[in-house]
This record gives sequence, C-alpha cells and structure tokens, in this order.
Amino acid sequence: MELTGIHTLNAPAETIWAMLMNPETLAKVTPGISRLELESEGVYKAIAEVKIGPVAGKFEGKAEVANAVAPQSFTLRVVQNSKIGNVNADINMTLKPLSDTQTELSFDGKADMSGLLARTGNRVMSGVASTLTKQFFKNFEDELSAAG
Amino acid sequence: MGNGGLIIMSNKFIGKSVKRVEDKRFITGKGRYTDDINLPGMTHAYILRSPYAHARIKSIDTSAAAAMQGVVTIMTGDEVGHYGVPCGWQVNFKNGDIMKEPPHPLLVKDKVRHVGDAVAMVVAESREIAQDAAEAIVVDYEVLPAITDASKAVEAGAPLVHDDVPNNICFDWEIGNPKAEVDEAMASAAHVTTLEFVNQRVSPNAMEPRSYIGHYDGVYDKYTLYTSTQNPHLIRLLMCAFVLGLPEHKVRVVGPDVGGGFGSKIYHYTEEALVTLAAKKTGRPVKWTETRSEAFLTDAHGRDHVTKAEMGFDGDGKIVGLRIKTFANLGAYLSTFSTAVPTYLHGTLLQGLYTTPKIHLDMTCVFTNTTAVDAYRGAGRPEATYLLERLLDLSALEMGVNPTELRLKNFIPAFDGVTQPGYQTNVALQYDSGNYHGVLHRGLEMLGYEDFRKAQKEAAASGKLLGVGFSTYIEACGIAPSAVVGSLGARAGLYEVGQVRVQPTGKVSVFTGAHSHGQGHETTFAQVVADRLGIPMEDVDIIHGDSDTVAFGMGTYGSRSLAVGGSAIMKSLDKIIEKGAKIAAHKLECSPDDIEFVDGKFTVKGTDKSLGFGDIALTAYVPHVYPANLEPGLDFSSFYDPTNFTYPFGCHIAVVEVDKETGATKVKRFIAVDDVGNVINPMIVDGQIHGGLAQGIGQALLEGVEFDGNGQIINGSYMDYAMPRADDLPMFELDRQVTPCPHNPLGVKGAGEAGCIGSTPAVVNAVIDALWSAGHQVKDIRMPLTSERVWSAMQS
Repeated sequence: MELTGIHTLNAPAETIWAMLMNPETLAKVTPGISRLELESEGVYKAIAEVKIGPVAGKFEGKAEVANAVAPQSFTLRVVQNSKIGNVNADINMTLKPLSDTQTELSFDGKADMSGLLARTGNRVMSGVASTLTKQFFKNFEDELSAAG
Repeated sequence: MGNGGLIIMSNKFIGKSVKRVEDKRFITGKGRYTDDINLPGMTHAYILRSPYAHARIKSIDTSAAAAMQGVVTIMTGDEVGHYGVPCGWQVNFKNGDIMKEPPHPLLVKDKVRHVGDAVAMVVAESREIAQDAAEAIVVDYEVLPAITDASKAVEAGAPLVHDDVPNNICFDWEIGNPKAEVDEAMASAAHVTTLEFVNQRVSPNAMEPRSYIGHYDGVYDKYTLYTSTQNPHLIRLLMCAFVLGLPEHKVRVVGPDVGGGFGSKIYHYTEEALVTLAAKKTGRPVKWTETRSEAFLTDAHGRDHVTKAEMGFDGDGKIVGLRIKTFANLGAYLSTFSTAVPTYLHGTLLQGLYTTPKIHLDMTCVFTNTTAVDAYRGAGRPEATYLLERLLDLSALEMGVNPTELRLKNFIPAFDGVTQPGYQTNVALQYDSGNYHGVLHRGLEMLGYEDFRKAQKEAAASGKLLGVGFSTYIEACGIAPSAVVGSLGARAGLYEVGQVRVQPTGKVSVFTGAHSHGQGHETTFAQVVADRLGIPMEDVDIIHGDSDTVAFGMGTYGSRSLAVGGSAIMKSLDKIIEKGAKIAAHKLECSPDDIEFVDGKFTVKGTDKSLGFGDIALTAYVPHVYPANLEPGLDFSSFYDPTNFTYPFGCHIAVVEVDKETGATKVKRFIAVDDVGNVINPMIVDGQIHGGLAQGIGQALLEGVEFDGNGQIINGSYMDYAMPRADDLPMFELDRQVTPCPHNPLGVKGAGEAGCIGSTPAVVNAVIDALWSAGHQVKDIRMPLTSERVWSAMQS
C-alpha cells in the first residue's frame, strides 16, 4: 500500500520537528496509534488499535525514527504484529520551510501487509489510507492551535 | 458391448428426470458432513500458518502456548517434518530426467514457501483454545523475496522456492509433432494469428470447507479418518503407503457427505495425515476444520498458465499449424495430480475439434511462492479449450471471415467409432466418437446468427455494443485406461469398482468406489440398477465413501463416475443376471440358454413360465432346490478398466452487451449444446451443465486469485474474491445431441466438467467481438474481464 501526503502547516519547521519528535504528540496525531513508549534513542514501543471496515485489531510493535536530519527529514519505520497480520511500513517524512511561519510537511512511503490484513479488504485500504492521511494533518493542525 | 444402446433394459427410469433421492437430507439441513461428526472425547486442532510467502524459520517457541490451559499437544516440523505427502504422477523432462520432486512436509522446519504454509499444529480441548494457543507460538522469520509469476520465476536471479531446484523448473515437456515440422508449417502459412494471454488462477470455493477427523482405537489397533474427500480409498492408499507407513488393513477412511469438490478434494492434504498422527499421539479423536480464509490459502488452486500461442492458416482458411509456449504455475509444492494437469490433461487436447496437421506444445512447469495448483473442474482441458477457441474467433476477426464457417471448414468429419474408426490426433489421444458439425449447427439455429449480426449493427447505432463469442470444445473424460495413463507416468490405475449385493428379499445394495459430493449418484446409479433388474428404485441403495464397506475405488473426478463407476456396476449386474438365469433354469427345468430376463422376470423363452427377481434372490440365499456346483448367494463385485477415455464435446455461444461508457459487461444469452453421450437423468445433467457454466463464466468475468509483490493473496475473502451470482448470469439455453460412447456399456461420456470447459472462451470471445464491432481491434483482455479492464481496452 502506497502512502503519500502533503500539507502546509502554519508553524515554523522547528516547531513541527519538535512535535514529531515528541512521542506523546506523535501518538496523538497518528490515527490508530494510541500510545508510544520510548524504548531507546529513537525507538518506541507502539500500541495501535485499528478498525478499518471489517478488519479490527490491536497491534503491538515498534516505531523507529531513523536518518533524522533536524529539522528537515527522517524515516519512520513501523513494524506491527497482530493476530490479524503484520504491517511493515517505511515512511520518509520531509519538512520544507515555506516562510518563517509556514512549513510544508510531506511523507512518502509504503506499507506491506501480511496475513488476514493483506487478504481481506486490501483494496479498500488504499481508500482508507487517504482518509487516515487527512486525519493525520487535521490532528496536527488541532495540536498546533491547541499549543498556539 | 455393442453400440452402447440400452435395449437390454426396461426404460422405466433411464432417460427420466427422476428427482434426486439425496436432496431430502440436503435441503432439510440433515446432510452428515465431516464437521457434523462429533466423537466422544474429541479434541480440536488449529494450524499455525505462515503469514509470509517466503521466509526462513529461525526459531519456533511453543513454550507459552504449551503452558496454556486446555492445550493437549503441539506438533511442529521437528516432530513430523520428516513425513511428507507425495505427488501421484511422474512427468519427465524433455531430456528424460525425472521431474524435480522436492518434499512437501506435513509441517515445515526450514523455510516456508507460500502464505499459509503449515508451521505448527495445536491440539486442544476446544477450537478456540487451540487458536489462542497457536497465536501464542512465537516464530522468528527471516523474510525472503517471493516470486508468484511462473514466467518470471524461471529467470536468472529469481528467488528459489526450493534451494535445490534450479530456475524453479519442476520439468519442461513437449507434445505433438516435431517442433521443426511445426515451424515449417507456420512459415508457410498465409495468415498467422498470435495471441499472448494469461489463463488466470482461480480458487475452487467448494461450499463445504475441508474437514478431517483422526481417530485411533487402541483396542483394535485401528485408525479411522473421516475426510471431506472425493476419493477415500485413494487417500487411504496414499496416506498408508506413501506418507505414514501404516498397514492399510488397519486404516479405515470415510468420506461422508461432502459439499462440493471441483477437484480440490481429490488430493491427499497434509492435514489428513496430521490429524491421524495426532490421534495416535493423544489417544483421542482430533478434528480439524478449515476456515474459509484458510481455504483460500490452502485448497489447491486451478489454472494459472502464461501462454503465447500461434495458429497458422492457408489461403483457404484451413489450419496448417499450431505452436504454443506455456509456463504453468504449480505453486510451492506438488499436489497429488498437479503435474498431470498441464501435460496429459492439457497438451493432449490441443487437437480440439480440428484437423490441424501440425501441433507443438512447449510446456515449462514451474514452482512459485504460491498455493499449490492442481485440477479444478475441467483440469487442463479448459486451458486447452480457452487457447484454441480464443485463437479461432480472433483469427476469424483478423481474417474478416465468419467464425462459425472457419470452424466448419476445419472440423474433423463425423464418426461413430463403431462402423467408422476413432480419430487419431497428433497429440496422443484417439477420439472415440463425434459429430462436431451437428452441435455447431444446432447452436447456430438457436442463436440466429444473421439476425444477431443485424441486431449488433442496430445496437451500435444506438450506442450499445453487442458481441457474440463461440466455443466448440472437446474433453477427455471417463478417466482413464490404466495401461495408458501408466505409460504416461500415473502412479495409480484408474479403473473403478462396483459391487452389487442382492439381499435375500430381493432388495439391492450397491457399493461403488465412485464418490458423490453433489453429483447425485444415489439417484443416477439407482436408476440404472433398477432398470437393469426391473425393480423399483426404492429397492436400490447406493453405498459409497467408506473403505470398510466398499471394496476399493478410485473416486470421482474427470467426469468418470458413470462412465467408469457405472460400467463397473453394469459388469456386476450382468453377473447377477447370468447367475440368476442358472437358478431360474434349474427351478423351471430348462437350460439357462432358454431363459430371458426382461422387466424383472426370468422367463422360459416363448412360454409364460417365469420366476420373479425376488424369487430368485430368495432361492440364492435359501438354496434348497438349487443347481449342483453353484455357490449360494447373489453378490458380485467387478473392476472395470476403460479401454479409452470418453470424449464429450459441444458448442457454447455467448452473447454479451458491453457498456461503452463504463466497460461493464452483461451476458445476455448463453447457449450450450452439449453431447455427453447417452443421458440417464436429464435433470441432473442439466444441473451439472448449469453449475459448470456458472464457474466458467465466473472465470471469464469475475474470478481470479490476485497476489501482491510479496506473494500475499490480496483477495482471500468473499468480500474481495468475486464469485458468480444469479444476477450475473442469464437464463441458460440448453440443448443436447447424443452420440453414444462406443466403448462402455452405458454409452455415456460424462457431464461434470463440460459446462466449465466450454464456456470461458465463449464469453471472452463475445467481448472481443463487441469491441471489434466498434473499431477497437484488441486481441486480448486479461481475465477476469472487469469493467475497468474492458474500459481500458476501449481507450487504446
């Protein structure tokens, strides 16, 4: 499943970077992720609960921030295992300052699924992915205004 | 054996649409399927399967699962990985080397090779506990790249499914005339039609999922396996002799009511041996029933050919040559008959109904990281028919000629196989009898060809696309003469057994090695027996599916039950009547030669002196007044080994309407004129044709197993895999021609697969015809013909 998104946020790149590096905020804005616990530098234990159409499950796995170049880019690696299948995602996040107060946040990557998750409703997932993307940016804006 | 006529029998039941006697229990929910059977103390198994298509197993930790309450035992590859299921048909490489036959272990130790590969089995007090425990097993996988496309799996650098099988090639194989002769014929052709296509993989989707119960009785040292199979004796033979090394006389295999198979329940599956082993180990019965999701992953799939085919014509439209290169996908492991399907059940049918003088098939059979592929309704013959019939209609379009005239010009002339010899093909088979012009002419009458072309033009003017597609098919059924298939690599004989036990009261128990899983044997076979003996159908009981009651049997597949199994019963009926005549002659004080048996009575010819069938039956068991040197009793068993395959054929015609704006395709008419030889029960034959048509049309328009780049099946549920439904299909227009089979006593050819073999290319041809009528000269649209694919084809 391809994952891409691009959105302009009303905040400087440094602010957004700090939010993304904060596990509490990241967990809040990422749809489905209910908790991120720091395990070691850049590595989190991730608890996710997802319900996509007929597929529902609680996932436990790892989220890792790699190749971090503050405040420009990093790779988010997610490995989630559950009774209904496994997800392996590699997502490149890019922050591009548009002005002192505006930043373009974009991501680009793919998620490989296996098990029941792959077999069932795979083709509706792409539709779901775009919904989740919208939700992600909306959550981010909400966090920004709450902080602002 | 005569010409297959039925003159010796009364025709009270034969040829009549007698309602199916088995339906009472089926439609009232009282069928007894394996999963309905519950034995005292029974445990339940759950199999942990690989979520990956290709991965090395680094470790398996079962400790947490084993500690869970209610878990009885856990088995892994370490314990049972040295047992594996065999392949039943050996095919050799072109150079004579034996095919690559890597082991197919019951549980995998080293690496998993397809999604759903079995890693561990948990046996527990309930199915839920077993599943929870299986999910607590920790398997550490090293995921490897996977390959799913057979034509790409042979390329250098492709991942190897089995480390010791180079280029993933199980074997390469060829059939037909020498390649050079075919090349020469093609070079001389005035027109060559080239078609590259995929005959996509389909999932069998039997209504009843696979289900097995293993049972071990320590008192009698005897195993029982209840299994949703099409051939219980074959499973017993394979499991005892080739998998577990158990003594056959200590193993009973029961195939009770089985809810559909379509080929997928022929094979000996690993789980059958696993529950048997687990029953011995635990001392308790072990039941395993798959989920629908597992069925998509583990029931052997069908088709999956990647083909380039060329057909050459001379200036008069006569076919001069046929040249084919095909890659057949076998999946990750060899299923029981997987190697025979793309070869001897496919290559041998490439003559079709045509006089094609030069034919060559170059076949490469390939391992991939996918579910095993084996026979699915038609098994190889639909692939051959699809190839030929697509080429015929496309050639007609390319050459601007009428597709039916092109066929009539190339058909083999009619022959009855009695006064005229059978037709020797260039691909090993000898057809038994045929009248191919007859079925096409009848189909054309039903269609109204000229009227259709007119309607097609008128529809185009109003913005609608109509198309017509033809398919004139032949199949090799009544599988199969043992000596022939043995010489071709079969590791079994393919005869059938029929025992007729006349009870003292004249009631008749018939034991058949054929197995009914929807075909209606309990009705059709009873019609034959009742008419042959001149008794009511209620007096006949058809018993099948239990290796302890039925002497032996090879089971049901390849449209063989009546042609082979029915013939075995006929042989026993002959013996019953012959012995009955001796008993009657003794009682009526005449020579047995003076006795005739008509309408259930043994009569002294030319007199009114006679004895009823019941009198003779009673005398046989109470032999007070009885011929000297004749054994009491009236009970005969026969083995029937056919002398040839049977060759049903027919003409299928599809009329479709394609929406110009969306590409959505609707089948408006479907005409099927089938010649399956003599017909015992027309209603049952119609039912078989209907079901086959639904599956064949389903493949053309709706069905297809899809993999992603990692070998994951991405449509493994009924939300994602499109099965044909009633509103996808028109009311079928059926008719029949009867060309009796000349070499079996009933003159029957088999009707189980015909609908599925003929229909698929007719539908695709019709869509292509519709597109050409609007100027879109496309050669192929990949099946299934979804509206998106048809729409895209119209944009190019």
